[in-house]
Amino acid sequence: MLSPINVSMESLNLMTLAPMLIPVVGALLILVIDIIKGGLHKSLYVVLSLLFLAMDFVAVADSSGVFMANGTTLGLFDVMLIDGLAILAQFIIVGASMLFIPLAMTHKRFHEFSYPEFFALFLFMIAGFQFMVATDNLILVFVGLETSSLALYTLIAMHNRDKSFEAAVKYFTMGALAAGFFSFGAMVFYALTGSVEINKIALVLAANGYADMGFVLIGVAFFLAAFGFKLSLIPFHTWAPDVYEGSSAAMAGYMSIVPKIAAFVVAMRFFEFLVHSGIVWLDVVLYIVVVITMTASNMWALVQTDVKRMLAYSSISHAGFVMAAILIGTTQANAALFLYWILFSFTNLGSFSMLWVSRQKHLPDYQSSDHSYNKFAGMIKTAPIASVIMALFMLSLAGLPPFALFWGKLYMISSAVTGGYTILALIMALNSAIAGYYYLKLIVYMFMKEPVQGNDGHVYVANATLALKTIIGIAAIGTIFAFVAINPILEFVTAFVYNSGY
Amino acid sequence: METLLYIALFAPLVSSMFSALFTTTPKKTFVGVIASLLIFTSFVSSSLLLALIVVNGSAPVHVEMMTWMATGDLYIPFGFIVDEVSVTMMMVVTLVSTIVHIYSIGYMDHDKGFNRFFAWLSAFVFSMMVLVMSDNYAGLFIGWEGVGLCSWGLIGFWFHKESATWAANEAFIMNRIADLGMLIGIFLVYWNTGTLQYEGAFEAFQTLDTATLTWIGIFLFIGAMGKSAQFPLHTWLADAMEGPTPVSALIHAATMVTAGVYLVIRSNELYSLIPNVGLFIASLGAFVALFAASMALVNRDMKRIIAYSTLSQLGYMFAAAGLGAYWVALFHLMAHAFFKALLFLGAGNVMHAMHDELDPFKMGGLKKVMKWTWIMMTIASLALAGIFPFAGFFSKDTILEAAFAEHHFVIYGVLLFTAGLTAFYSFRLVALIFHGEERYKIFGIHPHEAYRFMLVAMSPLLILAMIAGVLQEPFFHMIEEILSAHEYHIHSHTTLWIMLVGTQVFVALAILYAYKKYANAFIKVPDGTSAIENSFAYKLLYNQYYIPYFYEEYLVKPYKEISDMFWNKVDMKIVDASVDGIAGIIYGTGEKTRAMQSGNLSTMLKWMVVGLVVLLSLAVVFGLAARYSDSITVILSGLGVM
Repeated sequence: MLSPINVSMESLNLMTLAPMLIPVVGALLILVIDIIKGGLHKSLYVVLSLLFLAMDFVAVADSSGVFMANGTTLGLFDVMLIDGLAILAQFIIVGASMLFIPLAMTHKRFHEFSYPEFFALFLFMIAGFQFMVATDNLILVFVGLETSSLALYTLIAMHNRDKSFEAAVKYFTMGALAAGFFSFGAMVFYALTGSVEINKIALVLAANGYADMGFVLIGVAFFLAAFGFKLSLIPFHTWAPDVYEGSSAAMAGYMSIVPKIAAFVVAMRFFEFLVHSGIVWLDVVLYIVVVITMTASNMWALVQTDVKRMLAYSSISHAGFVMAAILIGTTQANAALFLYWILFSFTNLGSFSMLWVSRQKHLPDYQSSDHSYNKFAGMIKTAPIASVIMALFMLSLAGLPPFALFWGKLYMISSAVTGGYTILALIMALNSAIAGYYYLKLIVYMFMKEPVQGNDGHVYVANATLALKTIIGIAAIGTIFAFVAINPILEFVTAFVYNSGY
Repeated sequence: METLLYIALFAPLVSSMFSALFTTTPKKTFVGVIASLLIFTSFVSSSLLLALIVVNGSAPVHVEMMTWMATGDLYIPFGFIVDEVSVTMMMVVTLVSTIVHIYSIGYMDHDKGFNRFFAWLSAFVFSMMVLVMSDNYAGLFIGWEGVGLCSWGLIGFWFHKESATWAANEAFIMNRIADLGMLIGIFLVYWNTGTLQYEGAFEAFQTLDTATLTWIGIFLFIGAMGKSAQFPLHTWLADAMEGPTPVSALIHAATMVTAGVYLVIRSNELYSLIPNVGLFIASLGAFVALFAASMALVNRDMKRIIAYSTLSQLGYMFAAAGLGAYWVALFHLMAHAFFKALLFLGAGNVMHAMHDELDPFKMGGLKKVMKWTWIMMTIASLALAGIFPFAGFFSKDTILEAAFAEHHFVIYGVLLFTAGLTAFYSFRLVALIFHGEERYKIFGIHPHEAYRFMLVAMSPLLILAMIAGVLQEPFFHMIEEILSAHEYHIHSHTTLWIMLVGTQVFVALAILYAYKKYANAFIKVPDGTSAIENSFAYKLLYNQYYIPYFYEEYLVKPYKEISDMFWNKVDMKIVDASVDGIAGIIYGTGEKTRAMQSGNLSTMLKWMVVGLVVLLSLAVVFGLAARYSDSITVILSGLGVM
């Protein structure tokens, strides 16, 4: 006879679930509202989403208070893991989402935002990301990953253009393959250690002294492929340019930030203990992947003719740059990763939003694609403020002081030097120099070329509304005045990373 | 006290920033008014500081606003000091600039760049205040560069004029050359004393050997030569007259160009240790005094004549400072600032009246329409010539006495002769402008007197030019606290009187001769046919001893050729080519490998699998190697590899 299962509510620690449940509730509410009364204006859903995201943010802030007082918290049969990494990642995820969602308030009507499902899916996706980062159980990571990915594929397709469908299908297919890699990797480790929890896997492997090194490496190879896909590391990156091009500029900017930070946190949890246990193979492979990703994507970015594709490759390069932190593996490097990503989210969201503001419904003859370089020729003459802001984001992406990403690059490279990776630091610096070329290319187009005939500058702000301008303003201010916030952010991040044992 | 210091220092900065807000908007009179008020505030604060120091005899105000640089042993604060020397300079700077600001409201009345002008002018005042108030060489250098920059902006204020931008660049570049010397001097100070604070550096100088001190003295003086336009770096000053006349009055007569003299006075503890350098400075000063005065004799540009006279008077100041008579130099600096600014502002009135005509031969008889300007310029010229009881008499005669008392009779002789020349060319100018026939009528000009408030604004300068002499005694008593000052007394009373009276008579004769020659009705606009215009001396002087020509032919042109060569041969063919080559390789690699991104889903999936397969094979190889590492070692050692 089975004995009844007795579980005390306290031991479940349900509060750990609160941040994820808030967006889920919000999504359900949006769906219910739509069932009761359809055809409501998108602004309602935007505000509702913002509201729930704000509550989510508060909940995360609350759990950060708990973390600072009591340290890492476990919950729900120890499946949930609220440590510093989880909290930092959730701050970035929710914060960036709050910056993204007002971008739906465009001047022109776009297909996707007329569906309430867009907003519901968006909130589900955020819950998925939050689950991914707030656990070290590989099964829950997988569930979170798939929840968010499936939602994301749909969101991309909702942009309702041929290229968007193509992008969604490509992303979905490749994502399915990557999901397969992930489960294979998890299976190998379960077979090796009898656990799906990363910390237990680490303990068991350490206890038997990595006896089955071959199998460990096979598992690692699968994981690397799976994360490589999510983080768009070469050669698993091929989806990125097509998907970025197919999705709306705003969505592309969002995709370059939020899914990646979630994947970075999982990668950090999984690879750090392996890096620290001195597996040379992993060091070498990560080194190669990081260098190739940074360098090759930079070269491809150079030869693009479309600004959005250029930014897509540049995002790949940035991801490679940040992946170096996982290789270096020191607290300083991991803290630099978060710092970099916070600054990057402002800058990159800002630059993609600038593209979004200039999104046209119909292309004029001289433009080969939505955001081709020659669309921006002579922009300073027709839309001076917009071009200055755009230039600002480009300079920040290129890492020019005193703008935001300069500090990110600075701390990242300095952590590489302190970690003993001098040559890597040099390669990172050289890549920043190459990157400067294609960012400046846009600036050259904007400031030094003559405008194309028939371009009166209206196009650059065709989509501008107060909401979009506010977001761009926030991004610009964040980019310019980053230098005042660097030290507090770095202290905060370092404390969180250090206290989580990374 | 500290509050006063900060007000005096920062009011001009506030004024500049305020005016800068309106640089792109059309003329707004209130900008000029507010700027003038703020500069006046600075003047009031400086006066209060002066009163505190002189009347209450309080110690110098020394503040450290904040640390600027602190790395290792290097410690440079933003520190400011108000002692007897700097407060004198502050008074001169703020007084003249207040007047010039007010005057400019009228002078720049019709100019499109009205607001911009005040932004630059106030920025200049701020830089000058930093220069004179800093308590260390680094701060002085900031101010030094700041005034250089503002001078560049103001000389080239009418940047649409080719000649103005050229003159601005010339001034800036020539000063940069001198600044290099100055910087080396500052480095040497730091290298040898470990500090840039005046206090610490001067203390350390006492223990250094003479050779080092000489080098420091020479290099610092090179900086001073540039800023004060001493030979051979003097050509920019005359060309700087392209700027608006108030600028010439403030920057290129009263304040900035005296910064070099200030530097020597400020570093008096250094220069009194190296009398040989001092003697060189004095000799150069005397030479420049004569040299510049000679060029002023024949020039036909009103402003350039006054500029040469400035140059000449700077020579006097250096002569005094070089001989160790620092307080005399400082006093002449002050007196000169008053009457020279007055002279320039008067010239500004004349220019306005004559629609920017500068050739005094085309004027004549203006005293009827411009009575006040005539009076002011005449008195300023009397002061410049050193006629009793005007300001110049007291300051210039003391320099002569100092030279005599120090037994440097050559310098004395040169300076005395120059005094005669000074009187001559000053009154040549006055006579040509205000007396004689009304030659301007030929050119159809209808002159008019300047605005009343401009004349009122000039009046303090007029009064000071007349009575500044009475300040000599109190000034001496104030300054002797800090400068190793001693009064120069010529022992024999008879000699003294002969010198005084003789000088006066000599100068007076020169004035009379000038009037006689140029105030008559026979003066015509020169057309290059008269005998004197074809004489060698005239041509030599008129062409400034052919020095600008020499610079152009033998320095600028070869330099340009070398630059061209470096550009075409070295930069384009070597540097550029290699950089382009690297860029080309990177770009080409990108072009070639972009085929990876075919957009075909099957290819993309294949790439993922390829990646995984590579990783897996590496894993297998490494795993096998780890497992059989023992036997591999055996095999390898059997092969003799390990």
